[in-house]
Amino acid sequence: MTYIPSADDLEVITREVWTSFLDGDPAGLLVSGDDVAVERVTGCVHLSGAYTGSIMLSCSGSAARDAAAALFSMQPGDVTQNEIIDAIGELANMVGGNVKSMLPGPSVLSLPAVVQGQLAVPGAHVVREVHLTWRNEPLAVSLWQQAAQAA
Amino acid sequence: MVIDDSSAMRLILGRIMRGLGFDVVEAPNGAEAIARLESGAMPEIALVDWNMPVMDGLAFVNAVRKEERWRQITLMMVTTESEQSQIVRALAAGAHEYVIKPFTPDAIADKLALLGVLAY
Repeated sequence: MTYIPSADDLEVITREVWTSFLDGDPAGLLVSGDDVAVERVTGCVHLSGAYTGSIMLSCSGSAARDAAAALFSMQPGDVTQNEIIDAIGELANMVGGNVKSMLPGPSVLSLPAVVQGQLAVPGAHVVREVHLTWRNEPLAVSLWQQAAQAA
Repeated sequence: MVIDDSSAMRLILGRIMRGLGFDVVEAPNGAEAIARLESGAMPEIALVDWNMPVMDGLAFVNAVRKEERWRQITLMMVTTESEQSQIVRALAAGAHEYVIKPFTPDAIADKLALLGVLAY
């Protein structure tokens, strides 16, 4: 039977990444039932192979700016759009790579893509999702699976 | 040498390495890292991401290990690529160590000490 990481797994992985590179505080991320705000930034990595799908990290524009500021050790007001793209891409890459390690392999991880707004993958659907808040801003991590692979 | 397509990650790793007493040069992919080596850079150690555009980390490791003149460079993968089969591939290609992101500064220092490039 194929193990699909749980929402708790997504939370633990995200918390580890956030603790290592952003806050140093495991309590900095809180579980929330809320969906991500309309104005959002989404980072995504795709998997192809034994498991085909995507891992997305989506957060408010304000959270994205704060995350970039923390990664680059800058003031949020000084962060450029390129730095936000770089930061959200790398965070999605780290979360995605660690989720990949829990999925059936072998599979290949894509380079991260970052978009302003929401992203949907044609032919795929969300199989796991966790909603969090960081600095009172919404953040969500979701695992997608191509429909052809779905049970 | 820090080789990673993320400028944030290059900044973080560069800061850690400078804090440990290393001079740091950076490259955003394997091809630019090779160009720096070709132009005379001879790092004691290269921290190498796996997933990068242009030339990925595994291709970089293969390219470095083919050249006798670069044989003394210690290669450490620092990557999110954590499948066991991928780790084995990197080590078989000639990487000396493997660190999975996310990491702590202590984890990097511990690996460097294990490799003998950092005195503890």
